[in-house]
Amino acid sequence: MSGHGGSKKTASTRAIQAASLLVTFGVLYGVTRLTPELETHLGTVAAVGFLLLAGTLMSELLETIGLPHLSGYLLAGIIGGPHILHLVDHHTVTELSPVNTLALSLIALAGGAALRVGTLRSVPRRLAWATLIRSTCVLVCVAGVFLAISSFIPFTHGLDTKPLIGVALLWGVLAVARSPSACMGILAQTRAKGPVATFALAFIMLSDVVVVILLASMLMLARPLISGSGGISLEDFSVLGHELLASIAVGVTLGLGLAIYLRLVGRQLLLVLLAIGFGLSDTFAYIHVDSLLAFLAAGFVVTNLSDQGPKLLHSIEQTGSVVFVVFFATAGAHLDIPLLRRLWPVAVTLCASRALITVVASRISSRLADDPPMLKRWGWSSLVSQAGLALGLSVVIVKAFPSFGEGFRSLAIAAVALNEMFGPILFKFALDRSGETDSGAPEVRPSLPPAPATK
Amino acid sequence: MNAIAFLLGLLVLSYLGSILVGGRTIRGFGLASGAEYLVLGFVLGPQVLSVVNRSLVESFQPVVLVGVSWLGLVLGVSYLRVGQRPVPAPRVALSVALSALVSACVSATVFFGASYFSPLPRSQVIALAATAGLICSETTRHSVRWVVERYGAKGPLADLAADTARASALFPAFSLAIVCAWLPGAAPPAFSVVGRVLITLGLGMVLGFTAALLLGREFRRDESWGILLGTSLLGTGAAARLNLSPLSTTFAMGLTLALVSRHRDDIKAMITPTEKPVLLPVLLLAGAYVNAKLPLPLLVLVATAMAAKILGRVFCGALLSLTAKPVKGVGLEFGGSMLSCGALGVAVALAFSIRHPGVVADTLLLLASVGVLLGEWLGPGSLRRALARAGEIKPETPTEDSQSNLPSEA
Repeated sequence: MSGHGGSKKTASTRAIQAASLLVTFGVLYGVTRLTPELETHLGTVAAVGFLLLAGTLMSELLETIGLPHLSGYLLAGIIGGPHILHLVDHHTVTELSPVNTLALSLIALAGGAALRVGTLRSVPRRLAWATLIRSTCVLVCVAGVFLAISSFIPFTHGLDTKPLIGVALLWGVLAVARSPSACMGILAQTRAKGPVATFALAFIMLSDVVVVILLASMLMLARPLISGSGGISLEDFSVLGHELLASIAVGVTLGLGLAIYLRLVGRQLLLVLLAIGFGLSDTFAYIHVDSLLAFLAAGFVVTNLSDQGPKLLHSIEQTGSVVFVVFFATAGAHLDIPLLRRLWPVAVTLCASRALITVVASRISSRLADDPPMLKRWGWSSLVSQAGLALGLSVVIVKAFPSFGEGFRSLAIAAVALNEMFGPILFKFALDRSGETDSGAPEVRPSLPPAPATK
Repeated sequence: MNAIAFLLGLLVLSYLGSILVGGRTIRGFGLASGAEYLVLGFVLGPQVLSVVNRSLVESFQPVVLVGVSWLGLVLGVSYLRVGQRPVPAPRVALSVALSALVSACVSATVFFGASYFSPLPRSQVIALAATAGLICSETTRHSVRWVVERYGAKGPLADLAADTARASALFPAFSLAIVCAWLPGAAPPAFSVVGRVLITLGLGMVLGFTAALLLGREFRRDESWGILLGTSLLGTGAAARLNLSPLSTTFAMGLTLALVSRHRDDIKAMITPTEKPVLLPVLLLAGAYVNAKLPLPLLVLVATAMAAKILGRVFCGALLSLTAKPVKGVGLEFGGSMLSCGALGVAVALAFSIRHPGVVADTLLLLASVGVLLGEWLGPGSLRRALARAGEIKPETPTEDSQSNLPSEA
């Protein structure tokens, strides 16, 4: 594409993009009408090409009306997916699951690589209060809202109170997830400098780690509640502790290895990232290591124990520019539209309550930490966005609880889509109002593509 | 071995491939055609060690399909130029004619041989004969490049060898579109063979044109990957779903890009280095696909086809020595040098194998593999002798660093 956040596009460029989008849809539409019953590997190849091209073009076109790129990817997947044009069928969507694995590992690596010790050190007290209050409030209150409206959520029908609490807690964890790359994208675009920008970056990166630990804990807590078998014992916490420590240890080792490779060889990083994403994710699962936490730790080590962070981020950006489009477009294709038709009031309610709780929790934590006025006023603005990490967590939950997982994931995608649509707009608005943006400066390419999307 | 381990193995191979194209000092090492990876695949595959079993190999079919099609795109994009020099139109015509001639020799031999000595039905005999001809009609440009780089050759014969090798891709790539459109199962069924061929090539041209338009005025290397990957995968998948030839579609797409995009040199510089990293895993998988346990008549047919290819190439060399000045006096050696084949022949066989698995596909894959090995054995040596006799290299003096005087591609 001639620019994610690059130079201004002319009307003729937009016309070419629109025409190309029509060609893309037209080619696959024609082919699927001629060979409607094909459910083989061959259909997957066409689907990947379609999702990549249509997602990229759709995001470019939606950019003209101020929507983030992620919306374009999702929309391309939704339109081409099994419930509307049926260009990408259910079988293909399932076949594309390795892309999710790769995308999640890249997102986690990038998140870790963006987390700098220096940034954390500059605001430790604020970070501690914010992490404690915001995460706890959002987790508990959103879970409460979920419980309160559960009678309107189809996939929870028939669940007893205990399993329902388990599902609500999992939803609460999902609500705690934010979008570091959306934050980074907006900051890179606006070149914002000031307390809101600095704190947003530090807090969101740290919350990456927090949410991974929270998910692991809540999965452990929710399992006996949902399955009804067994209980929680200290041994479970011991297992969780070992898993977390092992994940960090493995991640640190991986990070050191990556840093050494980047320094001594530094070539063919695409292949290295592919090997890490595909190969290590499976290996980590096999040895019961949390891959998200391990990749986060690896990225963190590369950035903070070597000078190779920018190189790693740039490589992830290059690889991700393709992988993330397919990842999000596949998520869109996975969207269960009939279910969403029934769920949209629930999704809107959950998103609105999450945003409200986030604002209130931010005000409380700011007061306790004695934040500067600008941070008190706008500190919440970066926390509404959700994307890749939240979707990734929903994938983990689907795998852990397949009995209700698909319904959970559909609702998650609906909620994430809403949050991603409005979150970056809110954050940019806040940065503008707080005077931290340099609106006169030319736009630069965000540090992670796509600009207002991902994680 | 599980799929992830195998995938990691393929990625390591890609990594090696990327080092082979990236390192200035190790150019000229390895075999020109990558035949060693084909043999490695065969040894690891179900026929010998069974480290990689058949079901695992078959689960990698999409990887093979994408790899083969990507090679088609690379060949299409780089078709019109050797390094910075355009391939003259007469040499394109000459190369196509030579490819067609050899293809006709092999096809005729296989057709008559299979008709009389194999139990295959007539439609399969025709498919076998036509595709065997295409497999044998290519000369790999890597062989020329390998010899030229290694021996520092420079002159009209080296240029002619580079040009004809480069231009030899057109005939098999486009003719495969005809074969696939003719084979049973090709869609859309309401269309004639000509219509399906036009769909195959038209799809590539439309997507190539779309990609050229999207790449726009400014060329942004990083962002162009999405467009090139997206269009090529869409073309590959669409052609595959229609049971047409994805290789032909992506070749047409690459050729269209080379013709209409103002960034043709940038695109070529961007995707040419990906050829080896893609080729080596594809060759390994091709080797694993090879089934040497064929009925005796088909094995004899493979040998006969090889003999026809050698005779065809030698005849071409003799013909050129009478008509082309640089080849005068070295016709036999030059003909022998054109025996080198590699990626495209194997890709054609693999494309057929994915489309119509069975005994015909196995025969074709074996033919392509034997062709690669035979070409590797005879081709580079013949070219070296031809160049030495033409005075374009000093005999038996390989150079360490001959990058500056390459007539072939960068």
